[in-house]
Amino acid sequence: MNKLSPAKHRSRVLDSMPLLIGCIVVIIALYGVLISGIASNNVMRYMIQIFLYIILGEMWNLLSGYAGMTSLGQQLYIGLSGYTVAVATSTFKLPLGTGILLAVIVCTVISLIMSLILFRMEGMYFSIATWVVAEMFSTFFFSWKFVGQGSGMTIRVTPYPKMFDICILSLTFCVGALVIVYMLLRTKIGLGLTAMRDDITAAPSVGVDQIGHKLVVYVIAAVFIAFAGSVFVINKGIIYPDNGFTIGWTVSMIFIVVVGGKGTFSGPIVGAIIYVFLQEYLAHFPGWSNIILGIITILVILFLPDGIVGTLQKKLHFELFSAKRISFPKER
Amino acid sequence: MYIAQVITNGILLGSVYALLGLGMTLIFGIVKQTNLAHGVFIVLGAYLSSVLAPVLGIDPIFTLFLTVPLMFLFGFVLQYFLIGKAMQKGNEPALLVTFGLSIILQDAMLLIFTADAQHITAAYSVANFDIFGLKVSVLNVVLFCISLVTIGALWLFLNRTYIGRAIRATSDNPEAASLAGVSVKKIYAIAMGIAMASAAVAGLCVGMKWTFYASSGGSYLLIAFVVVVIGGLGSVPGTLIAGLLFGLAQVIGGANYGLLISYVILLIVLVVKPQGILGKKV
Repeated sequence: MNKLSPAKHRSRVLDSMPLLIGCIVVIIALYGVLISGIASNNVMRYMIQIFLYIILGEMWNLLSGYAGMTSLGQQLYIGLSGYTVAVATSTFKLPLGTGILLAVIVCTVISLIMSLILFRMEGMYFSIATWVVAEMFSTFFFSWKFVGQGSGMTIRVTPYPKMFDICILSLTFCVGALVIVYMLLRTKIGLGLTAMRDDITAAPSVGVDQIGHKLVVYVIAAVFIAFAGSVFVINKGIIYPDNGFTIGWTVSMIFIVVVGGKGTFSGPIVGAIIYVFLQEYLAHFPGWSNIILGIITILVILFLPDGIVGTLQKKLHFELFSAKRISFPKER
Repeated sequence: MYIAQVITNGILLGSVYALLGLGMTLIFGIVKQTNLAHGVFIVLGAYLSSVLAPVLGIDPIFTLFLTVPLMFLFGFVLQYFLIGKAMQKGNEPALLVTFGLSIILQDAMLLIFTADAQHITAAYSVANFDIFGLKVSVLNVVLFCISLVTIGALWLFLNRTYIGRAIRATSDNPEAASLAGVSVKKIYAIAMGIAMASAAVAGLCVGMKWTFYASSGGSYLLIAFVVVVIGGLGSVPGTLIAGLLFGLAQVIGGANYGLLISYVILLIVLVVKPQGILGKKV
């Protein structure tokens, strides 16, 4: 891009052993807090939301921040996974775990099929097409008798998972998502993705297999959004076209990534935490929440285009868990 | 006779669809930008007319004399002070800004006008007449005329006036146009203003034809997409033809599958021929 940083602004990559160990300690501490039973139901409610939105944010960040695929239709996989879990548990009386597994399989297959259509397009065409596909599924589910049409389905399993189980489940999926994204960025694919993030047109000229990279990212995103979507629906207990396939999911993903910092690993984590607390606060003003989120997103795009983490990284010359291999000394 | 009836209905309906896509195709063609808020703009236009008509006690069509300038101003300001700023940061931030705008406006309308269904009624809303054995709704003919006049006026404006020439020059090459003394920023704002004005007209038409909700923006946006993409981005005559084709497809597909058919058509065209049937610039 046009904002190449001069040599003296080389940044340090912060992903040394102590930092990694620190992260592992945090994760173990989170499990510890949950298992010891200190966390009240209210705290767990927040935690579930934060963990799940971190997954969504990281995935949208992979898609849009790295691979240049600004999807407006990832809610497709939330709806699909939710319906799969509902059909598996309520209609076929399968256990919950099988339901989640089936949801992931369904989403993987659909994402592979969708990639055949969607990858023929780029930029805004891609964005439009993803949205159209999601709307198409929404319309279809709305008139499909088997899944209860507009009134949707409820999840029926006995015993119904407690708040604690759902919280552990979402933490586990969240850690899984973060580990996969981190590992992905450390591989050759990660370097390719970083090249695509920095300049989507130049990347293929240095040997980045664009379609291959996009496919990997798109399928991973579908898989983890399926995980998150299943837990969201289990937590809610009900799925219908208007909450499964709503564009609201995309609004939240965009907010989380844009505010947190696009194209950074830790941005979506920060964004998700802000989003959940803001959402919770805005619940006192019914009807205003999307208006405020929209205004904040637009202001951030205009005045803080790198988001919170991105701006901090540029100002303080560091990168958390970057795909870069070499760490430059701060100043020579 | 049945076929003639279907074709007549399809063409009358199709002109409204063309109108829905008109503003969007302009922004595609001139500003080279996807305006994800266009559907919500149309709903805004519909609400403005539905509020003004009973207050002023006039036929809904005459509210256009107020809503069109109002929406033009709104679009101009929006592009000049907001979307234009985002465009300097790249295509994608601008796309997200229009997306954010659509969410903000939609929820604001939901707060102001509630989620209830709305409709703009006129004296001739349910009247019919017979011609050559065909049953034709007066409303459809009125809407057909409004659409044709709007599209024709825009075409004349683009091809016969100085500003129209400046707009076409900017669409061809913004840098060369600015060298020739055209203020690109202002032209973009004018283009957005015109797109908004056309959304005001489109809003009146859909409001008179169907019931609408604060949340209808998404479906109008998708119809606009279908029309714009099939017609070729930025082509005004292409939009008209695409709208008519789409109207025919809708009438033949029936009420149940109309929407699904439109999505499928859009996907097929996007995959097979993304530049549209009449893919040419304004």
